[in-house]
Amino acid sequence: MCLHNVNPSVKALTILGLVFVLAFLFDPITPLLFIIWTLLLTMLFGSFRKKYYFLYFFTFFIFAAGMLWSTIAFADTPKNPADQVSWAGWEVPKEDLFVAISLSLRILAFATLSLLFMFTTNMVHFILSLIQQLKLPPKLAYGILAGYRFLPLMKTEFQQIRAAHRIRGMNQATSLKEKMKQYKRFVIPLLAGAIRKAERTAIAMESKGFTGDRNRTYYHNLYVTKKDWLFPIIMFTALGVFITLSIIFDYFAWYNGQL
Amino acid sequence: MKNWRLKEIVVMSALSVVFAVVYLAFLPVGKVLVGFFGPIGYDFIFGIWFIVSIIAAYIIRKPGAAFLSETIAATIEVLLGNAIGPMLIITGMIQGLGAESAFAMTRYKYYNVQTLMLAGVMAAVFSFVWGYFTSGYAALSSTYVLAMLVTRMISGAIISGLLGKALSDALAKTGVLSSFALVKEQRRKNAA
Repeated sequence: MCLHNVNPSVKALTILGLVFVLAFLFDPITPLLFIIWTLLLTMLFGSFRKKYYFLYFFTFFIFAAGMLWSTIAFADTPKNPADQVSWAGWEVPKEDLFVAISLSLRILAFATLSLLFMFTTNMVHFILSLIQQLKLPPKLAYGILAGYRFLPLMKTEFQQIRAAHRIRGMNQATSLKEKMKQYKRFVIPLLAGAIRKAERTAIAMESKGFTGDRNRTYYHNLYVTKKDWLFPIIMFTALGVFITLSIIFDYFAWYNGQL
Repeated sequence: MKNWRLKEIVVMSALSVVFAVVYLAFLPVGKVLVGFFGPIGYDFIFGIWFIVSIIAAYIIRKPGAAFLSETIAATIEVLLGNAIGPMLIITGMIQGLGAESAFAMTRYKYYNVQTLMLAGVMAAVFSFVWGYFTSGYAALSSTYVLAMLVTRMISGAIISGLLGKALSDALAKTGVLSSFALVKEQRRKNAA
């Protein structure tokens, strides 16, 4: 099984389902096991530049660490204030520490799932699959695809506007205040350019016969086959096993008014 | 989707793409503020993350504009890569629904300052309720949570409501919106 070949809609829905279940778990063990599992799966069955993956993973990690700190620092009064643990030179209520660790690990678990999706899915295939499997109106979907294509153009346009301003004597911004002013000057031309371009694209699409009708043909036909169901089955079984393990070792905590 | 023109859809998604980049650019700003003030840091500038709903609804004036534009912006953010992941799409949908609810309350008839500010506030309230459960705000003390909510509502009204209106009006002046509902209605008003 290769993750790249799983139908994008099936993949997306599976991940949403897993995220939903994980959001109700409040023990540190299940998310931790799940993070390791998802990492392994992504590494073994996805083909991409691993360097970029870890770059992204690192930013998530910083975010989770920040969450850990702020949840402890701004925590609500615990039910058992006497039950303290010493951690990194701090006296923290045990209950707060547990909740904080499970919340941060949960963020990391969400992160590994989203990285799995991002690194193994082609954007165009994803949108086409949304039309073909999840019945997204083609008018909307192709509109989004056209808009998405503007992204690199926007960068060129930004550089052009900056050059045009400079050539007319607007100096390069050096201080933070000047930079803010400069961005203010860029906003309207940039947006106006984007709107003009979008309008022209829409007219071009319509003049070439695009009606947005559902009854149309596709260059890429995407199907859901029996093989695609393997992904949700494996993922949910793994989650079930981890929950069972955590129950056996008596760490398990379900949503029980912690928040 | 039938009463939408293709032009409106593509313009809406182009706006969403632009603001998806803006949204991502503001995440580190929020993180710096969080570093200084704790979790409330995000709430000072939270309004920026609803702005595309208000702009799209104000320009296009059709049911669904606020919801769809915010959802597309969130999806693009996810595809560009961010530190929150696909959950962000749901967050975007909920924020969009919040803004949409304000326009629905006025039955999509009024697009004055008050409605736009209300849309910002509603988006703030919806996103806060969602954040309460997913980001674990309830682990924080209740006065702090209340302060967060109020800050976010004010930020929504000012940054997304007022700034969103100002940006759209400035865009209308350039003439690029001449075939959109915003300018058409203004023209009708001036003629009458």
